[in-house]
Amino acid sequence: MIVAVTLAGRQHTVAVEEDADGMVVTWNGARRRVRLAPLVGSAWWRLDVDGQRCDVRLQPSDGGVRVTVGAARAEVLVRRALPVPSRQARDPAAARAVEVRAPMPGLVVATPLAVGQPVAAGQAVAIVEAMKMQMEVPAPASGRIAEVRVRPGQEVAGAQVLVVLHTGPAPGEGR
Amino acid sequence: MRPIRRLLIANRGEIAVRVVRACRDLGIASVAVYAPVDADAPHVRMADVALPLPGDAPADSYLNLPLLVELARRAGADAVHPGYGFLAENPAFAAACEAAGLVFVGPPSAVLARCGDKAAARDAARAVGVPVLAGTGPVTDDEAARAATTLGFPLLIKAVGGGGGKGIHPVAAPDALPAALRLARGEAQAAFGDPRVYLERWLPAPRHVEVQVLADAAGHVVHLGERACSVQRRHQKLIEEAPAPGVAPAVRAALGEAAVAVARALDYRGAGTMEFLLEGDRFYFIEVNARIQVEHPVTEAVTGCDLVAWQLRLAGGEPLDIRQADVTWQGAALECRISAEDPHAQFLPSLGVIDGLAEPAGPGIRVDSGLWVGQRVSRHYDPLLSKVVAWGPTREVALARMRRALREYYISGVDTTIPFHLWALDQPAFRAGAYDVRFAERWDGGGVPDDTAVLAAAAWFFHRLRTPRLPADGAGARWTAAARTEALR
Repeated sequence: MIVAVTLAGRQHTVAVEEDADGMVVTWNGARRRVRLAPLVGSAWWRLDVDGQRCDVRLQPSDGGVRVTVGAARAEVLVRRALPVPSRQARDPAAARAVEVRAPMPGLVVATPLAVGQPVAAGQAVAIVEAMKMQMEVPAPASGRIAEVRVRPGQEVAGAQVLVVLHTGPAPGEGR
Repeated sequence: MRPIRRLLIANRGEIAVRVVRACRDLGIASVAVYAPVDADAPHVRMADVALPLPGDAPADSYLNLPLLVELARRAGADAVHPGYGFLAENPAFAAACEAAGLVFVGPPSAVLARCGDKAAARDAARAVGVPVLAGTGPVTDDEAARAATTLGFPLLIKAVGGGGGKGIHPVAAPDALPAALRLARGEAQAAFGDPRVYLERWLPAPRHVEVQVLADAAGHVVHLGERACSVQRRHQKLIEEAPAPGVAPAVRAALGEAAVAVARALDYRGAGTMEFLLEGDRFYFIEVNARIQVEHPVTEAVTGCDLVAWQLRLAGGEPLDIRQADVTWQGAALECRISAEDPHAQFLPSLGVIDGLAEPAGPGIRVDSGLWVGQRVSRHYDPLLSKVVAWGPTREVALARMRRALREYYISGVDTTIPFHLWALDQPAFRAGAYDVRFAERWDGGGVPDDTAVLAAAAWFFHRLRTPRLPADGAGARWTAAARTEALR
């Protein structure tokens, strides 16, 4: 199997084949015998590369896996390398709606802005509390509040959409 | 006063475990309390008796003042240990215990009130000649704006009822003051039930040093030396150590004397901590922590004193039978706080269920932990999970042992501060003991993992494709049902 691995913006093409006792990984012209075995819980794995053992934390994430080794962490994208590259051209118009998500699970304390109000990049669109800390959730871009999806007092999950911004011209403008 | 025979522990997590252990050592029966989410926690398993609390929210559980007093009476306890956080420094709780005929393990309510009023504590220190930082008493928003112009920016907003680094907000410029006041008051109200705040001068890069004291009912006070607590983020301590590196013997002695003087001025009782900021060789008293502190084990490691046992003995009316000259220090100790926070995501709380755990041990290592497999890390409580304490005959040995222990610590299910600690231990400034409260700002995410990450990711991807697994989420059951239906056609 050919796997495309993207780490820190660089894509690597890695060949992985099953072996009697694990796998053989060919990368940059080097063949390595690799074993990966669960160590503790769902996150801790023991990686063995040609007899060299190393503990890694692996957490599945969007499009790949989050790898932590010692103090260092990387979001690594992994996919099967396809013979023909896929076309995933994004609809540029869709980029005008920006979802602002909760940075953590918690309790919504306030949503200072109402639908239709203008918002500047960095301005707080919600205040969320967890573990006794209150945090302002800033707008990632300037624009106008299109939707407020939560109420003060509401429990939210991590990454739940709190507010939607429109970064394009206001409705009716420029037509 | 009579010796304590049965103690209710009004807390959770690692500190509740710590107090149960002190009870065992002294032959005191322990009574644990627990919120529903903590039903399987180690302190519940270890205590002699465990009583349920009605809800997970702090107001229903570990902040439920009337219920805790009632449970203590019903359980036949003669004393209550508040731990730290929650009701530990709440004079109303101490008073309620006293009124119910229960010994409160901590200073009497009047002393707690004096220490809790940060402005009053500062005045008391100044009156006995201990230097303090310029600041205000409790202020309204309008008064704060006026006082800020004389104090100058940057400055700090602090909660009058605060402690444990909560409710502290630095303000860089006048236009940021209103928003910071709003956040600080909101946080102070949520954490301490008191929205009052005061302002204090801000030092650019001080070191945070604190002195442990013990005081008995007759007013005999000794200090057990200092702890360095400068590795902080958002005013939350991450690493503490004793002795404080790079502090001249004369300064160390002066700090100890100042701490004893402040304790006497406040008529302090039990175990307590006097906090100071150190700039060069000059120090300023900032506040009293009228409780057992998270970082007390480093002092225990270098002095050989059991501070929680001393708390229980002093609360039971025993005299403090050690003189200052009896206190000696040996070696060096470090503590790393293991919190459910993601150091790679601005230290945001990391919530989840602990699905795997292996804790370190071995020479010089002590782990005070409240963790268990199956634990749901709840947003209701402080993110502190456990503490790793390393002692060594020298600081170098303690550092090496700490690094070894952190690499032996496996926690699965939530992100923890361990990667930050591994980074910190390898920083030249930390290794040299030459760091101040700005140190943690240099955290750069620990760099990017090397080739290991590429190999690990490829191996993980291959492993996952080759290992059939049932989806664990709610949608899985439907797919399973659909597949079974399909198979029966």
